[in-house]
Amino acid sequence: MGADPDGVALPSACDLCGQPGVFLDRMCNRHLCADHFVGDVEERVQVTIQKYAMVQPGNRLAVALSGGKDSTVLLHLLRRHLPEADLVAVTVDEGIDGYREATLRSADANTRRLGIEHSTLSFLELYGKTLDELVRDQPNRACSICGILRRKALNTIARRVGASKMATGHNLDDEAQSVLMNWLRGDRERVLRRPEENGWPGLIPRVKPLMEIPEKEVALYGILKGLFAELPECPYRHTALRGEVRGILTSLELGHPGTMRRVVEGQAGLSRKLQPLPMAARPLRACELCGDPTSGRLCQACRLLHGEEGSKPGVSPDS
Amino acid sequence: MKIYHQDGTSRAFEGGPASVSQVLLSLGVNPVEVIVSRGGKVIPDDTVLGPDDEIRIIRVSHGG
Repeated sequence: MGADPDGVALPSACDLCGQPGVFLDRMCNRHLCADHFVGDVEERVQVTIQKYAMVQPGNRLAVALSGGKDSTVLLHLLRRHLPEADLVAVTVDEGIDGYREATLRSADANTRRLGIEHSTLSFLELYGKTLDELVRDQPNRACSICGILRRKALNTIARRVGASKMATGHNLDDEAQSVLMNWLRGDRERVLRRPEENGWPGLIPRVKPLMEIPEKEVALYGILKGLFAELPECPYRHTALRGEVRGILTSLELGHPGTMRRVVEGQAGLSRKLQPLPMAARPLRACELCGDPTSGRLCQACRLLHGEEGSKPGVSPDS
Repeated sequence: MKIYHQDGTSRAFEGGPASVSQVLLSLGVNPVEVIVSRGGKVIPDDTVLGPDDEIRIIRVSHGG
């Protein structure tokens, strides 16, 4: 590591070309410059798309676009890797005051820039209330409520635009967090679910092209490609179990590089091994209220909106 | 050394030459959760910072 004429220590050089590095891969102690880092991420995403056969000819692919960094990077990478694909961006406006306005503007700007069709659905339109209104008396549950209702809203809007598949911007950190959260909650059904388990009439199959890219690398790619906007933090971010799990996992990742990858790969291998067991094969059925797939009588969203029996107000828009 | 945060605040960091990771950890920031730039250019976590350096810390996670 040298110094410039002013005595400022230069960053370590790229191991591939000698240019100033922008990234240190802790797993293999490798430095990459901006060009090689960008190329590396693009290649890994392309490999993931091909490895899991995420997109087939004739697919109309909805891209879940929140306007944040992950989904913005995803949209640009999909346009780059699949120039002929039929892409349509879909956005859910949960109704989070002071946070969502900026990300919605970002989503709109990026779809215009890429010339991609864009459709938006709000909680207010679908459920009759904004997230802020739904969680006013229970802010500590905001993330779990939002997650359930957003999943349903995304599926609804993807169906409306005629999508045959939907891509989401989940990165490696998100995936590792979900694995750990499922274990911490004792959610046996999700622990046993195969990662590729996806098909049900009315449920748009999902793919996650960024699932093998760590969050930091997604953000760095966004910065280097000029896609990273200074966006506000979600006001509910700190209320979530996910926030605590994120802290635990990033601490482990710092001391033991590769932890998150091993968590995700270990879980995927485990659930595949367990599939032949009868307890792992829990059939899905149609929710009695909305028809969406569920393992019980009512889907999670309907239980949330209409109570466990489907008749009580719960946090329903009718309450 | 001067450190700028995304929220517009800044603080001084006293001490001898230290790597980006060492500086972040001394501030209670996990290097896995942030990206650091100096003079508008992103630098790797093992870059050694001097007393006259000014760096900016960019948090990578915003969502819920």
